[in-house]
Amino acid sequence: MLLKMIFTSDFFFSVLRITAPILLATLAAVIGEKAGVSNIGLEGIMMISALFGSLTAYWSGSWAVGVLVALLFGILVSLMMGFFAFNLKTDIILTGIAVNMIGSGGTLFLVKVITNSTEGKALASTTSLITKSLQIPSWNIPLIKNIPVVGDILSGHCILTYIAFLLVFLTWVLLYRTPLGLNIRSVGENPNAAASVGVSVLKIKYIAIAIGGALSGLGGAFMSMYYAMGWSQDMVAGRGFIALAAQAMGAGEPLGAMLSALVFGFAQALGIKVSATGVDSNLVSPIPYLVTILGLVVFALVVRRRIRRQHSSAALQETASDK
Amino acid sequence: MNKRRSLIFSIVRGLAAILIALAVATLLIYICAEGDTAADKGAQTLSALHQLLVGPAFRSNGALSTKNLCDILAAMIPITFTGLATCVMFSANQFNLGAEGGIMLGAFTSALCAIYLPLPGGILPLVSVLAGAAIVAAMMLIPAVLKTRLGVSEMVCSLMLNYVVMYIIKYLLNSHLADKSKGQIQTYEFQSQSLIPQMVNNGSKLSWGFAIALAFVVLTALFMYRTRWGYAIRMIGINKDFAMYSGIKVGGVIVLSQVLGGMLAGMGGGLEMLGRYNTYSWSALPGYGWTGITVAILAGNNPIFVPLAAFFMAYLDKGCSLMSTYSNVPSQLIDIIQAVIFLFFAAEQFLSHYRQKLVVKSTQEEMKLKEAAASAAEGSAK
Repeated sequence: MLLKMIFTSDFFFSVLRITAPILLATLAAVIGEKAGVSNIGLEGIMMISALFGSLTAYWSGSWAVGVLVALLFGILVSLMMGFFAFNLKTDIILTGIAVNMIGSGGTLFLVKVITNSTEGKALASTTSLITKSLQIPSWNIPLIKNIPVVGDILSGHCILTYIAFLLVFLTWVLLYRTPLGLNIRSVGENPNAAASVGVSVLKIKYIAIAIGGALSGLGGAFMSMYYAMGWSQDMVAGRGFIALAAQAMGAGEPLGAMLSALVFGFAQALGIKVSATGVDSNLVSPIPYLVTILGLVVFALVVRRRIRRQHSSAALQETASDK
Repeated sequence: MNKRRSLIFSIVRGLAAILIALAVATLLIYICAEGDTAADKGAQTLSALHQLLVGPAFRSNGALSTKNLCDILAAMIPITFTGLATCVMFSANQFNLGAEGGIMLGAFTSALCAIYLPLPGGILPLVSVLAGAAIVAAMMLIPAVLKTRLGVSEMVCSLMLNYVVMYIIKYLLNSHLADKSKGQIQTYEFQSQSLIPQMVNNGSKLSWGFAIALAFVVLTALFMYRTRWGYAIRMIGINKDFAMYSGIKVGGVIVLSQVLGGMLAGMGGGLEMLGRYNTYSWSALPGYGWTGITVAILAGNNPIFVPLAAFFMAYLDKGCSLMSTYSNVPSQLIDIIQAVIFLFFAAEQFLSHYRQKLVVKSTQEEMKLKEAAASAAEGSAK
């Protein structure tokens, strides 16, 4: 009975909706890690591009311009990170922490300054600026929308949601079917070997971090222009960090990362559903974060077991060939 | 490069980082300033900068402002502790970012003890603060043990724990512990004997927690530089494989560094709570953990320099809040200044050309000395 109440087609629709921004950031983490760049600034990048995306959407009156600007800001911030991390040799983790500082406090500073100078009053958010017409539009898939349950779940999502899932495939193609992807992977696995065959390690790392910036910029746009109507303080709420966990849990592969992002989306959707039944929302809000830790543990255990099994089968073969 | 030169280099480098940050701040303040002409805006920028840099120390008539200075010293208490915690954990190359949740959990635990434990004065604050420290130390076991046993990233794990801690505290506060007779969400008041006494009575909330913080700076420094364990922690940070081959139990020491870090963060939370407030009402992460990371970076992970870095950050913070009250520059400017200082301070290659010059100069001098000594020896041989 309770299960029937929770697992409605509405519920699965919201799983996909909640997963989309996490998925975008997760793909950013996947590409970064493949190039050996652990970008923990995804959270901050999402905050910054969410802010500028919603502001430019308001100024230009067009959601498309807003998304584009969010994407550009993602790239800009990530290139700045690259400059500090690769050229000035700041530890990449510390660079990420600095970006997150700007993302949490600095954005509030900027939103106060910017809205003050344009609106004549101090707003601490841009929630009143994004109206229904500036929201990223949804799309009803022809044919599929008419199928009873499946249509309710799959059709009618925001365009960016479809793009996010499409990007899983594109990321795979990029990493495994293009020369650039080969370079990214080789730089991540062995930078010296890559450099010795003439690959510019610096350039590849810049490209990887910039692609990650673009992806998390899209995630930021999704947050402020679809998920919530406008930017507000700390609205990303750790999704950039969850993405790092999803990357690790998905073994750094696009498909695995998508599955683990879906797990988090599921956990969060479940939390929202449960709190709607009257349970204190503060009690269910930590569930996605706990699931993240649990997921990392399970993943580590599985990997360890697999390695052990490989070792033991190798040893068995050795003894067999000795005889 | 001799010791004096490398000291000069670090000072020049630090000052350059701070100057760049202030230049960025000036630019942002100028953009904020209202005014029609450039001169108008310039004047406003100058007065805002004056508030930011001089305001915390001096009153407008030029006299030293003891109240503001006490405020700054009081604000140093939590960030000194999170700074120390970060120093210990980062020294072992453990990027545990849980000091943020740790200080909140420590403050909450101490607050509960201060409300509900029936103990006499003197013992109650001690027990409360120690309970906070113990709980956070236990919390840090989670990322530490998962790291050493399973290789789970301590960074991601501690970040997630921060959120878990925050929501659970919010839940407990809202549902079970709130004093329903009050307008805002807060606990019942602490028992009066649990409060940590104030050092000066001018409303600045400078409690004896400050003295305890300084004592822990010395203790942590002694631990890190004068004990076997501290040496092991630093050695693992410098070269983990070397530490392992020289017989250091790497796993145990990694756990130790994070548990100690948690203990320090929790203690800071307890002292801050009982020294400043008389009821618990934090419903969001306080941000001291992140400032603590900046403090540790500024101090170069050396506990002795933590108070200096903490003073600097507290001074800037006070300056920013003064500035926001007297001009229309939002106080969150501090986050941008902090991030910029942070980035340049941690940048290894920042001013590397200047460093190179100093190295060359030192070597040339050394070679000259040697040549002179050699020719003198030749001369005496003849």
